[in-house]
Amino acid sequence: MKRLNPLALISILAILSTSCGTLGIGGGLKIGMVTDIGQLEDKSFNEFSWKGVQDGAKAVGGTAQVIVTKDIADYKQNIQQFVDQKYDVIVTVGFLIGTDTLAAAQANPGIQFFGIDQFICVPADANDKECKGKVPDNYQGLVFNEAQAGYLAGIVAGTITKSGKIGAVGGRSDVPPVVNYIKGYENGAKSVKSNVQVLVNYTEDFNAPDKGEASAKTMISQGADVVFQVAGLTGAGVLRAACNAKVWGIGVDVDQYLSLPDLQSCIVTSAEKRLQNAAGEAIKRFKDKGKQSGNYTNDATNAGIGASPIRNLSPVPAGLEDKIKQATEDMKSGKLKPV
Amino acid sequence: MDLLAIPRLVFEFAVYLLTVLPDLLPIILALATPLALGALCGVLNERSGVVNIGIEGMMLMSAFFGYLTGFALHQTVGSAVAIWLGIAVAVGVGALLGLLHAWLSVSVRADQIIAGTMMNIAALGVTGYLNRLIITPSGRGGAGVIPPFRIPPELADLPVVGPILAMFLDQGPIAMSVIVFVLVLQFGLFRTRWGLRTRAVGEHPKAADTLGIDVFRQRYLNVILGGALAGLAGAFLTLESTGSFQNGMTGGRGFIALAAMIFGRWTPVGSFLGALLFGTATAFGVVVSVRPAEGDLGVILRSIPTFWYAALPYLLTVVILAGVVGRSVPPAADGVPYAKEGKA
Repeated sequence: MKRLNPLALISILAILSTSCGTLGIGGGLKIGMVTDIGQLEDKSFNEFSWKGVQDGAKAVGGTAQVIVTKDIADYKQNIQQFVDQKYDVIVTVGFLIGTDTLAAAQANPGIQFFGIDQFICVPADANDKECKGKVPDNYQGLVFNEAQAGYLAGIVAGTITKSGKIGAVGGRSDVPPVVNYIKGYENGAKSVKSNVQVLVNYTEDFNAPDKGEASAKTMISQGADVVFQVAGLTGAGVLRAACNAKVWGIGVDVDQYLSLPDLQSCIVTSAEKRLQNAAGEAIKRFKDKGKQSGNYTNDATNAGIGASPIRNLSPVPAGLEDKIKQATEDMKSGKLKPV
Repeated sequence: MDLLAIPRLVFEFAVYLLTVLPDLLPIILALATPLALGALCGVLNERSGVVNIGIEGMMLMSAFFGYLTGFALHQTVGSAVAIWLGIAVAVGVGALLGLLHAWLSVSVRADQIIAGTMMNIAALGVTGYLNRLIITPSGRGGAGVIPPFRIPPELADLPVVGPILAMFLDQGPIAMSVIVFVLVLQFGLFRTRWGLRTRAVGEHPKAADTLGIDVFRQRYLNVILGGALAGLAGAFLTLESTGSFQNGMTGGRGFIALAAMIFGRWTPVGSFLGALLFGTATAFGVVVSVRPAEGDLGVILRSIPTFWYAALPYLLTVVILAGVVGRSVPPAADGVPYAKEGKA
């Protein structure tokens, strides 16, 4: 940086003053969150990240503010608004905003950035595919161990299937979290019933509920009696097909029993990323330990992933909840690898 | 190199297609329904001489307002009634938007491409805004979906007849109604006075006018009817297929519908076949990974990235529009506003 940005300087001072325990004017950390495209009340990433940011702000005695992004082109300027207003911590939500967050972190070393669901990859040069470049000291990606969450969902599916056939519909086969969820799911189901058959289809589309419905319908006609969706809006069609055929559906990312009230009757559980927990904890980490960098994995060891409460099953099959608990413990201790 | 390798693969592929047919057939119609209804909307519009690229927006608006009606009423009047009211509202909204498009294209003689584009952009904005304002904060669900009709299992399990019956009858009412609309419109367009007049104002409005046909009235009527069909397509998306509304959920179906219409050379039956073709391409992409083929064929089919299967309908669109099906000629006065002599 050739010229020191005066705003950045002020933010550094602000952070120094708070981390020394002396309250700045206005009191506490100023925490800003920039959402992914869409709405704040999306019952998914934006909403739960925001709850986590608010929890974090409360825990550290700070204030929280949010900007809702309307368009991909607005990411940069939304982040800049918080930079200009001398915020101490900026949290950005979603994989897509990662590039702009990285640039902002490099330009504003005095501000702490957290990227939810962003795996930070800084290539050392144009040919580097292994992310050997240096991640800025003030930017931490909050990533999740999807395979572990998928594994827990797989345990549920393997336990409740009567036909011995289960299905999974993925949004895209080139999005690693989607693939990880499904791999974990397959292994989880096989840990319960070693001969279970898992039908997998990638629709290569996150926004086509009719395709999701067609996929699930085909799986169900093949005998699958549990379907797991990892496909965004496409997945709503998957769960719809499950409801229509009176078989079980498993949700993803958040507790979809709550987020999709239309489909409550057939959702048995969801493979969850605990976004709220992850965002809140990140802010506390910053307050307690200062600058955070690199990729921080939320997994079984820090309650970063999990399975939502079992719904609609009465009684819950004997031992199911124990199996989930045991698997979580084993993943925590490292004894159990989901993939 | 085994000389018989290729013929054997072709044979295996044919056998594979036959074995997966029972899985393919029941899902094709539902995938084709919004495309077919959109294409019929296009046929009605363009046959009378009005280009409508706003079908996408009409579908989206109808999908939203249909859903909103169900959402608002299902607790007071019950789900079933609310869904049917929602469908009626969706069709009504489609017809109203048709009226708007007719007014812009016929009376005001605005540029029809721009009018359609405006429709698409406005629909995205209006539905996105109202969705955020009304539906999402409530945290409530909608009225659900119309339960699909189920054929008795004894019939569905019949070896050959079962899947064919399932293709047409194991569906929701809107999907099934498509077949009726296609036949009625095909008959209407080529065998009735209304059809003759429609084609006349689409081919040569001046001649039609000279013979005493009210060009404006005929175009208004067709564009409004077309809008109602696009509205039904919207209702299908929210009230029969998914039971929820998502921003921008039409996802380009209004445009693929136009390709189906061109494939079908502006005829109802042809457009329907075009929509079925797109539906089949999508369905094949699904079935190929859920019921993989065996042997060498399986190895080959598995080695093709799933993206190619997902892209199949779009590749088909390109192939079709590039003229593989032969030259497809639009109605002569398509997109040309008509002005009475002395008034222009």
